[in-house]
Amino acid sequence: MNLPLNIDLLQILLHMLNFVILAGGLYLLLYSPICKFIDGRQKAFEEAEERNRLTEEENLRLKNEYLLKISSAEAEIAEKKKAAEKEWADTSAAYIREAREKADAIIRAAETEAEDRKEHILESVQTELGELVIGAAHKLVSDTVTPERDCALYDEFIRLADEKLAEEKASHRKTDHKA
Amino acid sequence: MKNKTKNPRLVIFIVWLVLIALLTTAVILLLPPGEKHETIKEVMRDGVLHEDNKMSFFSLQVNPGVISAYTVTAILLLTAVIIRIFIIPRFKTVPGKIQAVLEWMVEFFRGMARQNSHHRSGFVGAYIFCAGIYIFFSTLFELFGFQWTTTAGHAMTLPAPLSDINAAIAMGVMSYSIILGAGLICGGIRGGLGVLKDFSLPISMSFRLFGALLSGLLVTELVYYYVTLSFVLPVVVGVMFTLLHAAIQTYVLATLVSIFYGEAVEPKAPREKKTKKKNKATE
Repeated sequence: MNLPLNIDLLQILLHMLNFVILAGGLYLLLYSPICKFIDGRQKAFEEAEERNRLTEEENLRLKNEYLLKISSAEAEIAEKKKAAEKEWADTSAAYIREAREKADAIIRAAETEAEDRKEHILESVQTELGELVIGAAHKLVSDTVTPERDCALYDEFIRLADEKLAEEKASHRKTDHKA
Repeated sequence: MKNKTKNPRLVIFIVWLVLIALLTTAVILLLPPGEKHETIKEVMRDGVLHEDNKMSFFSLQVNPGVISAYTVTAILLLTAVIIRIFIIPRFKTVPGKIQAVLEWMVEFFRGMARQNSHHRSGFVGAYIFCAGIYIFFSTLFELFGFQWTTTAGHAMTLPAPLSDINAAIAMGVMSYSIILGAGLICGGIRGGLGVLKDFSLPISMSFRLFGALLSGLLVTELVYYYVTLSFVLPVVVGVMFTLLHAAIQTYVLATLVSIFYGEAVEPKAPREKKTKKKNKATE
């Protein structure tokens, strides 16, 4: 077939055949494996990115959870601290009250004991004083009193008593006479 | 002191080398031009039409572009096998230099397919990767100047495969077929008809490729035809132009295919007339 510009169908077909062979070879040997490698790498990167995103989300969740726990722990600590302070205040107040009660009891007991001791001392002092007075008196008397003096005193006493009695009798008679 | 004694020797050595290079260049430039079996007009005409210099390919008389195409395919497939066996199994998560280049090449075409064809980009990504690699490296192929014997017995430098209009048409038709097939598969007959509207697409694709590659070929042929120009200019003209239009044509074809493919596989909105009728019926 004579076509212008030396166009030849057979040669066109030969060129097509050549290109088909080349295209098939290049596709199988280069394009497909390289595409597969690039896609695999991209997929690996996407998976890594997804993993990183999930890890980041997990980290954020853990951080929030941690912050929440910290805030709740702080609140709990504050509450416990408050409760402990209250308990401590109650305990200390109870201790103080008990101590005061004990102190009062001790004071009362001490006062009672002191009173008792005072009374006892006073009693013993009175006894001792009596004994001392008696002793002193005895000593005093023992120096001056003798049997003769005792007899003289008794005699004097009896005489005075008789005189007193005689006077009273005389005064009674006078009053009787008057009556 | 030692440095001072060494420096003059080095200068003398460099001057000696430069002198040799200059004299050799001058001798070559003044040599009479080699015997040409073709005029520049014939060379240019053959560069476009490939009517005269045919080559044998399994007992078939073909244009040099066919030989170039199969040579490029063989080289590319061999390289791909080496890469598949020795480099790809050693890929690491953090890529090295070679791995980065390979990944960039794949990602460039795949990204372009995804960007221009939002709905179904898997197949077109693979297609434009292969087409892009083929166009880029087959265009660079002419830089290496592989020699092949024509059926007339002359030695000839193998051209870029796509400077043969048959190769460009093959690329254009295949690209259009893929777009048309995608339109039919995804959009049914309506999608196929939508693609068929752009019947000029294979022609524009083919001739754009052919024209771009051919221009590079013609410039190179022109430069190489004259011996005096071929010492300095090919370095700039050959390498720079070839690299530039290889990259540009790769990018253009890949972009066009992915855009038209994206349009073909795009889900079509239901027709308004039908919906209006349905609405009326329901009312």
